[in-house]
Amino acid sequence: MKRIFAVALGILTAIGGFLDIGDMVTNAVVGSRFGLSLAWVVVLGVGGICVFAQMSGRVAAVSGRATFELIRERLGPRAALANLGASFLINLMTVTAEIGGVALALELASSVSYVLWVPFAGLAVWLVVWRVRFSLLENVTGLLGLSLIGFAVALFLLHPSWLDLGRQALQQVEFSDEKASTYWYYAIALFGAAMTPYEVFFFSSGAVEEGWKSKDLNQSRANVIVGFPLGGVLSIALAGCAAVVLLPQSIQVSTLGQLMLPIAVAAGKLLVAVVLLGVVAATFGAALETTLSSGYTLAQFFGWSWGKFRRPVQAARFHLVMIVVVIVGVGVLFTGVDPVLVTELSVVFSAIALPLTYIPILIIANDPQYMGKLVNGRFTGAVAVCYLGVILAASLAAIPLMIITGAGR
Amino acid sequence: MKRRHMLDPEAATGRVLDAQLHLLDRQVHDVASVPVTAVSDLEISDVDSIQNIPPGTPAPQLIALLSGPVLGTRIFGGRPPPSRLQRIAWSDVDEVGVVIRLAVKGETLDATWAERWVRDHIIGRIPGGRHDPE
Repeated sequence: MKRIFAVALGILTAIGGFLDIGDMVTNAVVGSRFGLSLAWVVVLGVGGICVFAQMSGRVAAVSGRATFELIRERLGPRAALANLGASFLINLMTVTAEIGGVALALELASSVSYVLWVPFAGLAVWLVVWRVRFSLLENVTGLLGLSLIGFAVALFLLHPSWLDLGRQALQQVEFSDEKASTYWYYAIALFGAAMTPYEVFFFSSGAVEEGWKSKDLNQSRANVIVGFPLGGVLSIALAGCAAVVLLPQSIQVSTLGQLMLPIAVAAGKLLVAVVLLGVVAATFGAALETTLSSGYTLAQFFGWSWGKFRRPVQAARFHLVMIVVVIVGVGVLFTGVDPVLVTELSVVFSAIALPLTYIPILIIANDPQYMGKLVNGRFTGAVAVCYLGVILAASLAAIPLMIITGAGR
Repeated sequence: MKRRHMLDPEAATGRVLDAQLHLLDRQVHDVASVPVTAVSDLEISDVDSIQNIPPGTPAPQLIALLSGPVLGTRIFGGRPPPSRLQRIAWSDVDEVGVVIRLAVKGETLDATWAERWVRDHIIGRIPGGRHDPE
């Protein structure tokens, strides 16, 4: 019974934890411009993150070592340092976007400008990272994030023409005023949003935090393989809402408030309130995960003591890094930069940096010296190599497409 | 640090370690499994010259694992003065496995002074820093 409860809890938190500000903004933007014609990317991205998270969780459980320790050991100091620099900066960008997302959601709930919410959001993130146990922070934000199911409810209440949505998704209807390059640019953005590298740092370090052993792997596999696809369904529902309400009116999403319009149209204030709670929980949860990831990556590279299972004084530099990262994120938001813009850029940069973390994990997961019997099987290995191709293509195409399309404008 | 075997295979009583493969960039844990540092470089006993080593010269000995600023010099070249090296004596190493395990507490080592400084001057002074998470 306890076992079933643990699996259910893990799956529910994986669903609620799948969506972050990057997924929400990108799916809404894409839905409002391309309908459901990019839904295939979400499916592809969910498959990718399942493979990736599953591999990194397995590596962490078998070797008891987290991602960045192994990256340094495997790639040597030069390549690993370059990798750390890129991963850390993109993660910092994501922290900024998530804290901005929390503040924007609180602005929608309170009509107080988001800039005033930013310091409180940053402080709250730090307090939780400072004082709250790992399992508690993961479970509470994950479960509250489930209120994002409101997007799926809203889509049903809108009584859309399912045939039209299906045709958009499967037949790739032309959108006369959008260029092909913009279409592919957003395809990469969606892919990056689904497969953000921080999820992997967080997942592998979390496995060490919670002391996973090889026997816990089935449970983690269930969480990932059931939870993430259901999270992906919510992503598509979100894009669907935007496609049904915003696309016909030619409203292009550029604020978080526009995400809520379809819900207000479908079900009124009450559901908006429920979904807002979900948005706050999901972005707050992601802010925690990214903040922790910044500490994890740096501490693991330099071999410092790290982890939420230790007291802050026992992992002093780890906590110092996180304090600095939150302060920098809050400082960037104080400059008045649009958090939605930061989010849109962060998902594309995530896609660019993805090979940096994917390749080392793939190499280690294929290495019987590390993994013993739990080395990648023939099936996982084949799927993982296919995804390597997709990830490399997305990473290489991202910067040219960004320049050609003027970042999707 | 060139790739070389640390022990003369004939004289070795234990297994042969490859510096690159088993030592460099490995995580170091202290006797209580607390992470100390990652190995950034190695210190070996002086060899007069790399070329023209007369036969019968004793092999250089591994003296210490290094951490701290040597990471920068290992990547970009150069060598910090010996007084700046943060050493972990090779004699303190208990086991070389997936991680390098020491036989001493990390608390007393030079390699953890930055950790101790941050702890005593910043993190330890913030309320709640000395308590378990709740």
